[in-house]
Amino acid sequence: MSGRLEGVGAWVLYCVTAAMMIFILAPLLVVMSVSVSDSYFVTFPPQGFTLSWYAKVLQDRDFLDALQLSAVLAFSTTMGSLLLGVPAAFALVRGSFLGQSFLKSLVLSPLVFPALVTGLALLQLLSSFGSGDARVNLLIGHIVVTAPYVVRTVVSSLQLMDINLEEAARTLGASRMKTFWRVTLPQIAPGVAAGSLFAFMVSFDNYPISMWLANSEYSPVPLVLMRQLVNVFDPSVPAMSTIIILLAVVGVLILERLVGLRRAVAI
Amino acid sequence: MTDVAQTTAQAPGDLDERSPWRLSLSVGFLALPMLAFLSIFFFYPAANLLFYSFLSQDAKGIIGRPFTLSHYVHIAEVDLYLKVFWNTLQIAFITSIAAIVMAYPVAITMVKSKPIVNRVISLIVIAPLIVSVVVRAYGWQLILVNTPTGLLNWLLLTLRIINEPLELLYTKTAVVIGSLHVFFPMMVLPLASALGKIDPNLEDAARMLGAPWWKVFARVTLPLSIPGLVAGFTLVFSLTAGSFVIPVLLGGTSSTMLGNLIEQQIFVVYDWPFGATIAVVLVIVVFAINALSMRILEGRRFRRIAS
Repeated sequence: MSGRLEGVGAWVLYCVTAAMMIFILAPLLVVMSVSVSDSYFVTFPPQGFTLSWYAKVLQDRDFLDALQLSAVLAFSTTMGSLLLGVPAAFALVRGSFLGQSFLKSLVLSPLVFPALVTGLALLQLLSSFGSGDARVNLLIGHIVVTAPYVVRTVVSSLQLMDINLEEAARTLGASRMKTFWRVTLPQIAPGVAAGSLFAFMVSFDNYPISMWLANSEYSPVPLVLMRQLVNVFDPSVPAMSTIIILLAVVGVLILERLVGLRRAVAI
Repeated sequence: MTDVAQTTAQAPGDLDERSPWRLSLSVGFLALPMLAFLSIFFFYPAANLLFYSFLSQDAKGIIGRPFTLSHYVHIAEVDLYLKVFWNTLQIAFITSIAAIVMAYPVAITMVKSKPIVNRVISLIVIAPLIVSVVVRAYGWQLILVNTPTGLLNWLLLTLRIINEPLELLYTKTAVVIGSLHVFFPMMVLPLASALGKIDPNLEDAARMLGAPWWKVFARVTLPLSIPGLVAGFTLVFSLTAGSFVIPVLLGGTSSTMLGNLIEQQIFVVYDWPFGATIAVVLVIVVFAINALSMRILEGRRFRRIAS
């Protein structure tokens, strides 16, 4: 659509859009504002200014352990998703065989399944195996929901790529491996990067899978935060939340810089 | 047929003595690791969960035969469970409709403004997607708290619009607001990409022929953006129906959803077959919405070809 907006309709649109932007940002800004409140309870408006709640949170063993667990989990999840997802994306775009579109819907199906149920089903399976290590269970569960994202972003960048370049490399005598590393991979790198970063963040924020597979010893950040929310009423909870928001902002900026947000989300 | 045509078209770069067909088949094997992984950790457990919903649990908590449909009957007969089921549908439906109404202005503004404005709006819409749902629901708790220390009550009291603090938190409305906030991007993004594909000349033509802006929207923009609308509706509805965190933090006892019921059955009551049954019901709801939207989209395509 080319034409700029004009007239009354345009003003209505701008006002609603502005209101929605406020609606989207409000809860995050409120959390950030009360995190520096110099009071023993979370209240609005915040009173005074202090960073002591951050000091408290950054000494909180549970939170730091959770942060470390979530970071390692998200990183391993991303690696696992790449290992499974990138070859699968190649099969879906470059291959040609009976039932290819069926295979695609199979591989992407965890995205339409309610994550809560995926986690429950997995808990049932893993407990019948007697797999007691929560970290392994969490890793498996997170890969199930993140690998399809990697497939989706890599499929779309493989479809966009110019296949003539590969052909040229092969004609000029490059081996299949060399063609892959020197021609194909650099071209689909943005898609791979977008998929990885998104997988990382989906894993880092995941609740509906983790709630089934975590235990009291190994709980990722969202679960620890949820527990704190119910039990603690001082501004250390908003301080914790603000740290999570700031980490997300860093992630978003990296994504936007590296590949462009719209592409990464691929909705 | 078309597959064969694609085979020859899609397998250049293959200069070996091997036939293009064999190459494209062997490329297909690259999907095997992921397929195997999902089979073990997704398809099999999901099928097993369905199986569990037909098993019975005796007084000692041992799960096994005989097969029974009693859990499904149980959901349909007990008022509490039926209420939770309708609550879930109602909250998911209202959230999706609210998302459609609010997403159109935002998506149209995104598509029609300068690139920089589009970029800023995209950033604001997408960024919260990456913040944990727990944090976002907590933010709404702080806004909606029922005492004068909640942001909204404080604002309304300070401006003297109300005299008594409002009961906002722990209501169905709070759950809808929270869900709208969390899943709004899932509506805006498909809608914006559908709107971006509309030929601007169509709208210009309608306008030049004298149609007012609302008529242009109703007769040109809206019908042509249906694919994005349906995709967004399906996503928002499915995700809202499957929520857990939002109803826990923002809802009260009257706004319990299927997700909460499943968690209770497994972690509190230890009734696995019944928990599995509720999970199956949730999956059926989500699949039904997906199937419905697929039909709508295919029906449209068919009609377009026919005319």
